[in-house]
Amino acid sequence: MDIDDIDDILASIDPENSSDTELDHQQLTRFWVAERAVSDLLPWPGPLMDRLMERVSKQIELIEDLTASSFDTSNNQNAMLNLKLSILQTDLSRTQYLIRSLLRQRLAKLTRYSMHYLILISPPSQHPSQSSSSQQQTRPEDTIPDPFSSSSPESDDFSPLSPKEAEFLHAHQTLLASHYGSSFLGSFPPQLRRLDDNAGGTSMVQAPDSKQVVFIRCLAEEVTVVIPADDAIGVEHYGTTMRIGEVWVARWEGVKRAWERGEVEIL
Amino acid sequence: MAFPLPQGITPSEIAFLSEMELVTVVPRQRLEILELLGVSPSGGSTELLQPPVRASVPLWLALLLKRQRRINIVPPFWLHPESLSFILQIETEHRDYSDAFSPPPRLPGQQSVGDRTASDKLKPRRTVDGQPYFPTPPFLPQNIALAPAEATGPGREAPSLPYHWLEVGSMLLEAASDDLVDPNQTRRLLKDLREVRTAKMRKGIDVLDTAAMAGGGVALTGVGAMEIGEMRGLVTGIVENLRYFSGFVLGKIGVSKEQARREQLAEEGNKDYDDTQDYGDSMEL
Repeated sequence: MDIDDIDDILASIDPENSSDTELDHQQLTRFWVAERAVSDLLPWPGPLMDRLMERVSKQIELIEDLTASSFDTSNNQNAMLNLKLSILQTDLSRTQYLIRSLLRQRLAKLTRYSMHYLILISPPSQHPSQSSSSQQQTRPEDTIPDPFSSSSPESDDFSPLSPKEAEFLHAHQTLLASHYGSSFLGSFPPQLRRLDDNAGGTSMVQAPDSKQVVFIRCLAEEVTVVIPADDAIGVEHYGTTMRIGEVWVARWEGVKRAWERGEVEIL
Repeated sequence: MAFPLPQGITPSEIAFLSEMELVTVVPRQRLEILELLGVSPSGGSTELLQPPVRASVPLWLALLLKRQRRINIVPPFWLHPESLSFILQIETEHRDYSDAFSPPPRLPGQQSVGDRTASDKLKPRRTVDGQPYFPTPPFLPQNIALAPAEATGPGREAPSLPYHWLEVGSMLLEAASDDLVDPNQTRRLLKDLREVRTAKMRKGIDVLDTAAMAGGGVALTGVGAMEIGEMRGLVTGIVENLRYFSGFVLGKIGVSKEQARREQLAEEGNKDYDDTQDYGDSMEL
């Protein structure tokens, strides 16, 4: 579905377009708090970030214009203009701080769990199978899945990364792998050179721990903590029920979907 | 390293958040409406400051203008000494709250206790991308001053501590103590409240093993942002360790809580349960 269409429909329903800036700001703040608090990478809010970046660059232009005009005004007006400028600049730095902190936190998660996210965003068919590559030439780089190998648009829906983040991640991991290869992995037997080895039932790909607890506030009337299905339990079950306005400590995996629906807030 | 800070927002970041709270000010000087990026909830721009009309501005702007003596800050209702002593009394003497925090201000749409008839159901706003959105602190007017009629009127609600009480309280005491009713008394009461509530938080650690179980949780309703910030590392660390031990040590001796719960759930679901397989699961944790 086209995002522009949805926006148009919503704009026609909601006449309060002036409050968009305000809502976007609130969303950014909440998203930043959430991204800082949970262990895994949250889905990239593309449209929101595009709008924010556009507003930031407009605001920078405005500040530059005001600064330029401050040279040809009288002293009295200048004092007022300086005050305005300092307010505008403080506001701008606060927003830029939020965006920067958000991006850096995401980069930190990406580099920490780089293999996990590369495998996640790559189409499954492209994973090099254990036997296909000739044993003698196995290099660590060859075990890196390529997220750009298929042009199917489906994979984008699942990806929590922005396109730039995906690009960065692939380049980062390729560099890392070739460094590992030249510094020590190259002297290992070929079958030990893989970076996604899961011999012996232990995967060497580190994934974020979704069982960690988070502080949450319940925003909908009622939200139930879920116990996701896994190997031992085939279907999902329900645990504690939270009511509106309550603050809880609960497992991230149990409230993740409620968060996606906007029914809980991460604190 | 891309990012040096630990997981979960740190106290200085919480203070940054609390500066987004709206406070009431009395301007001494005119200031036009400014279109800003980060001003909520007033539609993305500041209100017109025209003495002596009260206006609401975010705390960071209020502190900036206060430092230049362009405004006076009207302290929020809950920061009055009477309100604080009232809350302190609930925290210490009310038997329903001997182990819990005093109730926080209600969210919009939330019904008060015992008032089930109220029909104003919570209607979420929609974000520009069409997601439902429920505003919460710091984007609720929890720190603005009441109009004189509201403050003395019969229908007003009992004072309660807002989510960012500690940060807003300390910042106002530091930067605008001349605007507060009785700064010394206020400071004492804030300190008492903090001690009482810290003790409660410590007591709450005893029940944390429920949060370590799948589907479980521990309620901390009424907790303040800074109180979460101080306890975050401790709480997540304890829960991590409880989970680790219940899956590792206890799994060998008997049946851990997590395992028992899983067994119970697996039985409910009429699933074959393989003991060794689950043991392997626990080891991975």
